[in-house]
Amino acid sequence: MANSLTDVFGAAAAVAKGMSVTLREMMSPTVTENYPDEPPKFQERFRGAHVLQRDENGLEKCVACFLCAAACPSNCIYIEAAENTELVRISGGERFAKTYNIDYNRCIFCGYCVEACPTDAITHGHGFEIASYNTSTLIYRKEDMLAAVPAGAKPPVVHEPAEAGAH
Amino acid sequence: MADPVTMTINGREIQAAPGTLVIEAARKNGIEIPSFCYYEGYSLQAACRMCLVEVEKAPKLMVACTLPVAPGMVVHTESQKVKDARKYTLEFLLTNHPLDCPVCDKGGECELQDMVFRYGAGESRFTEEKLHVQEQQWSPVVFYDGPRCILCFRCVRACNEGMGVGALGVVNRGSVSLIAPNHGDHLECDECGQCIDICPVGALTSGTYRYQTRPWEMEHTGTICTHCSNGCKTTLGVRNDKIIRGNNRDRSGINGEFLCVKGRYAFDFYDHPERLQSPMIRVNGKLEPVSWSKALKHVAEKFSEIKARNGKFGVIGSNHTTNEENFYLQKFVRQGLGSNNIDHKRTGDVVTLIDALSGTTGTLATTADLYEGKTFLILGADLAIEQPFLSFQIRASMRHHAAKVFVVTSKEVREDAYAKKSIRKAAGSEIEALEELREALAAESDLVIVFGSSVKGEAVRKLVAFGESLGKPVKYCALVDYSNSRGAVDMGLMAELHPGYHPSETPGMTLPEMLADETLDALWVINENPLEAAGLASDKAFVVVQDLFLTETAQRADVVLPSASAYEKNGTVTNVCGEIQRLQKAVTVMGTKPDLEIIGLIAKEMGLAPAMGPWVSETVYGEIRRSVKGYDIALPLVAMAAQQTAPVNGRVNVADKSALIQGAHETLFTSGTLGRYSKVLNSVIEKRAGMSLAAQEESHV
Repeated sequence: MANSLTDVFGAAAAVAKGMSVTLREMMSPTVTENYPDEPPKFQERFRGAHVLQRDENGLEKCVACFLCAAACPSNCIYIEAAENTELVRISGGERFAKTYNIDYNRCIFCGYCVEACPTDAITHGHGFEIASYNTSTLIYRKEDMLAAVPAGAKPPVVHEPAEAGAH
Repeated sequence: MADPVTMTINGREIQAAPGTLVIEAARKNGIEIPSFCYYEGYSLQAACRMCLVEVEKAPKLMVACTLPVAPGMVVHTESQKVKDARKYTLEFLLTNHPLDCPVCDKGGECELQDMVFRYGAGESRFTEEKLHVQEQQWSPVVFYDGPRCILCFRCVRACNEGMGVGALGVVNRGSVSLIAPNHGDHLECDECGQCIDICPVGALTSGTYRYQTRPWEMEHTGTICTHCSNGCKTTLGVRNDKIIRGNNRDRSGINGEFLCVKGRYAFDFYDHPERLQSPMIRVNGKLEPVSWSKALKHVAEKFSEIKARNGKFGVIGSNHTTNEENFYLQKFVRQGLGSNNIDHKRTGDVVTLIDALSGTTGTLATTADLYEGKTFLILGADLAIEQPFLSFQIRASMRHHAAKVFVVTSKEVREDAYAKKSIRKAAGSEIEALEELREALAAESDLVIVFGSSVKGEAVRKLVAFGESLGKPVKYCALVDYSNSRGAVDMGLMAELHPGYHPSETPGMTLPEMLADETLDALWVINENPLEAAGLASDKAFVVVQDLFLTETAQRADVVLPSASAYEKNGTVTNVCGEIQRLQKAVTVMGTKPDLEIIGLIAKEMGLAPAMGPWVSETVYGEIRRSVKGYDIALPLVAMAAQQTAPVNGRVNVADKSALIQGAHETLFTSGTLGRYSKVLNSVIEKRAGMSLAAQEESHV
């Protein structure tokens, strides 16, 4: 008899112990993210889709030095350079990236490009919803990656040179 | 030769000829002494202080680039003292040098960048603001960014000594010194761009390459320049099937790092908007674009029909196409079409020279002979303007071994400035001056004679006889004008000569005869523009033109076939001195075909392909090796370096046709049809002025 009593109390204690964990966790904030119903949260240094930054004047920081393309282990960055003129000023330096493509079919998000960039022009953003049924949409152009012109900045001259971009 | 000097560098005993500089002696023994201003082949400057070395028993560090070796000298190049000195020198060089490597065109192939990486300090202690000067454009092809300049004066010396132009100098003193062009704010020079090439930093940059790409992004194709006959090797930087720049920094090929404006920049004709990209057939008097198959079929049908009724063909070959194309063309015309009416625009009397040399001790000169020779005789040629590399070689020979130069020309030439003697004689009568020079020439140990197109026929024979009478080794070079003019002669694009200078039993019509013949049934022109100067007498002639552009001749054509330029095909070409070199395909232009393929396809359409053999350049070259004397050189050897062909094989027994020879007198800024379509050549001020440099200098006096 004594044995069965021990069993009953033992079982109840075990249930109570288990339930205490459940109840305690019920009270604490949730870890699981409610994506896609709610936007996900990221660690600050998460390496997501790239963002091409602008300087405080709204000019592109990228000077088309090709170092990101050189550093890229999966060879997914394609750049064509052109020269800023007095009429069309795109970047802060003499040169700017006329074309800047990243092929997300190949990108492995290693962050070497960001590390190589001498002007802090290319950074990893937190974008991650890149998946697509069509691989051709995975080649991002400069326009897809450029940061917005900062508020209050003198906007850069936007008319593009004639043959810009078609790649 | 004096006994070698024995000395010690870094504990290694080495030997060097007396008078050798320490920096050279070290480099020859695989010991690197860094330097900016020291440059092999140019005068000593001792400006950069990069080559400081420690010499035992010398109180201070010594400058290795001006220090001759001495017996028993003990040199240390890697001691702590030397390493520190290098570090400090670089720190000083960087006081005003901007750190804009990411945008600088030189980034990635910059000597300063490499040196700082290797020998420099990690950080600078200078906090002072850097001096800034505005960037200047000196010409369409030369930009100068003052702050980047480290004042090594390489450009000044390359321009002054190498080119003999002297368009660059130094203004101001000390840290505000700047390189300055000869005409205030702009350059008037040869626009050769050697200053850009030789600049160890990005101070001088190329107007066409500027901000286009970075050095490591390009693929490099070593090929031969397709303009003048000198046959300089140019290394084309190609990105995305576009040629971005031409240079020859690796010093491969006969020309080392020399290139003139045409070799460096004038490849740009290849993607001119007016480049033909589709075959065209004349329909109702108008040229209409058609498919390749239709155009080739049309040509083949017409040719077959004319051949069947024993009609008269006239074929004009090119001065720019490869040896393989020329050989295949003449084979097709002679065997396939059964005609001997084949010719090209003749620009120099190679045939008479080879005939006259037979049985004498004279030989043909190589481009290397033009540097190694001690005495030069230039007859009837404005070498600096028309044959820039040959002129560069002779100038280098004059600088390095005090070569003596004698000039006989009709007008003033740049060689006058350093010639021992210059004689003015009307074009065509240059050899009258020979006796005047006999005494001076007889006193020298050797002689290289270079003669232009005005010395031809009997005059060449007299010249060879004169050379023979001097009783010393004499070498000759008959100047021709285009990239494969010499090859066209060797390959038998001549009415009276088969490949290898074999006289034809039934000589055909020459170029002027074809154009003047009213009964000509077909005219086939390959990359040549004969109708620019002359009319075509025959109205009924069926005209087929293979060309890059719609030239005057192509406008008259019944069928136009767009062909590939030399930068778009493989093959071999032979330069003015008979040196055979290999072309390598750098790019593809949509819609075009190499001439070899076009000729082959016409043969195929006519059902003659089995007789003609495959239109593959390597196979055709094999046939050239077997059938053209002097060309028995294995292709891998040609791929490695230029090889001298030796077509001298006894008398060339043909009637003297030297009257047909007409020099093209292309200047540094013209190049026939190709020059007309080169944006760079047409943009430089010297071209716009429409005068040669010599004429400009006259007008400034």
